[in-house]
Amino acid sequence: MFLIFALITLVGALLMFRLKNLITAGLSLVLCFIGIAGLFLLLGNPVAAALQIIVYSGAIVVLVLFVIMLLASHEEEKPEKPRGIQRWGSAVTVSALGVGAIWIVKNSKILASPTTPNVDPMTLNRLGASLFREHLVGFEIAGLLLLAAMIAAVSLVKREL
Amino acid sequence: MDQLSALLHMSPATLWMAFKVVLVFAGPLTLAALMTWVERRGSAMIQDRIGPNRAALFGKWRLMGLPQLAADGIKAFMKEDLVPPHAHKFLFWLTPILAFLPAALGFAVIPFGQSFQSGGQTYHLSLLDPGNGMGMLYPLAIGATAVYGVLVAAWSSNNKWAILGGMRASAQMVSYELGMSLAVISIFMTTGGYDPHQIIAAQHGMWNVGPQFVGFLVFFTCMFAETNRLPFDFAEGESEIVAGYFTEFGSMKFALMYLSEFIHLVTASALIVTLYFGGWRVPFVANPGVLLSVAAFLGKTLFFCWVFVWVRWTLPRFRYDQLMKMGWKVMLPLSLANFLFHAFLMFRRG
Repeated sequence: MFLIFALITLVGALLMFRLKNLITAGLSLVLCFIGIAGLFLLLGNPVAAALQIIVYSGAIVVLVLFVIMLLASHEEEKPEKPRGIQRWGSAVTVSALGVGAIWIVKNSKILASPTTPNVDPMTLNRLGASLFREHLVGFEIAGLLLLAAMIAAVSLVKREL
Repeated sequence: MDQLSALLHMSPATLWMAFKVVLVFAGPLTLAALMTWVERRGSAMIQDRIGPNRAALFGKWRLMGLPQLAADGIKAFMKEDLVPPHAHKFLFWLTPILAFLPAALGFAVIPFGQSFQSGGQTYHLSLLDPGNGMGMLYPLAIGATAVYGVLVAAWSSNNKWAILGGMRASAQMVSYELGMSLAVISIFMTTGGYDPHQIIAAQHGMWNVGPQFVGFLVFFTCMFAETNRLPFDFAEGESEIVAGYFTEFGSMKFALMYLSEFIHLVTASALIVTLYFGGWRVPFVANPGVLLSVAAFLGKTLFFCWVFVWVRWTLPRFRYDQLMKMGWKVMLPLSLANFLFHAFLMFRRG
């Protein structure tokens, strides 16, 4: 089950940045998000899975696709001149990140002594309680950040208020 | 139940699950097919016409136009499957699936009858048992992915009417989803849970439509926008943009997309019934039992299906800016006000 969802996620992510057509790339991003939602389900967190689908694939990618459809060109723009340093630099960064991730997982303490996982699935009630009890400051800061972003967006669009 | 499962060499739970899968898939599908007939007859009734009455079984039995369903089905199967030039072949082929899947999945969490006990085991009449952790978030998530059927249809068919319809639909669905989710959240709050079984249990004595009337109005309106039906059928808008996002679709592809719209309609009615009209509850009967509760649920759902048809043939279509204004400046503030009001009431009660 894990392999199926991991494959869906990986295929979606790979297609997303290999496809030249922006619309199909956006749709593969949705595929990737659905795979991630499946992984959340396997981790016993159906709330995160549902929110992943509602927020990311249901709203954000739809808006992104909407904007892409408004543009005249649906193809990725060609670079003016090939930049070798970008390509090799990104390849090195990605491989370094991959090796680092594998190293961290290999050396993690939980993996060395696996305990029985907490099978109690996450509920919206527990999520709310932990959000407003343990992470209240972070929650409020995120809210403030979003409010600032919203005001900035409105002031950018509306020149004369 | 036990004898039958022993006969089939299955555990009762597996048998029940298989039965429910078939029921939850076939039930809304059958209702949707019937709704296409109801829509035609209903529109004819409302507009003082006769409606479909020519198709007849073996040239004899007209059955109030019901054979028209079979005639349409045969026609859709026999038609040539055309793909327009310069269409994106793969996405064009994928579209009917993308439209149909969310429609078929959406019903899974809705309890369509009272749970019963047999042989020391409790059987729930919803595909996903209570306590699955998804609860009412599930239909919201599935409904959110329904927009891809429209978007992909619009873009893949390489047609300007289609793309206009698809862009209208995507903006509309995203803006009405906010008001709808807030209306649902205030139900979660007053119930103290988000599982549909809990929500129905909490409606004992008083249906949610009483205390949450504003929320019901918002949710009901948003359901029209989510199912893309008149007065919000901008994705289709046949008098403006031919047939909107399915202009280029014919034969069975069109039939599947058309059918999935009607399944959405059935699911939307079922959601309204579950959230605001007590689900399978029967007034003045505490424990209606399986048969009566399923009948009550079916009756309420069919009534709301009929209301959808009724409204469609009564109200004219909005203009697009009116739709957007209504979504953001009426529905969202109303929904927020409803939410704050109920939060305040709960705070006062302690």
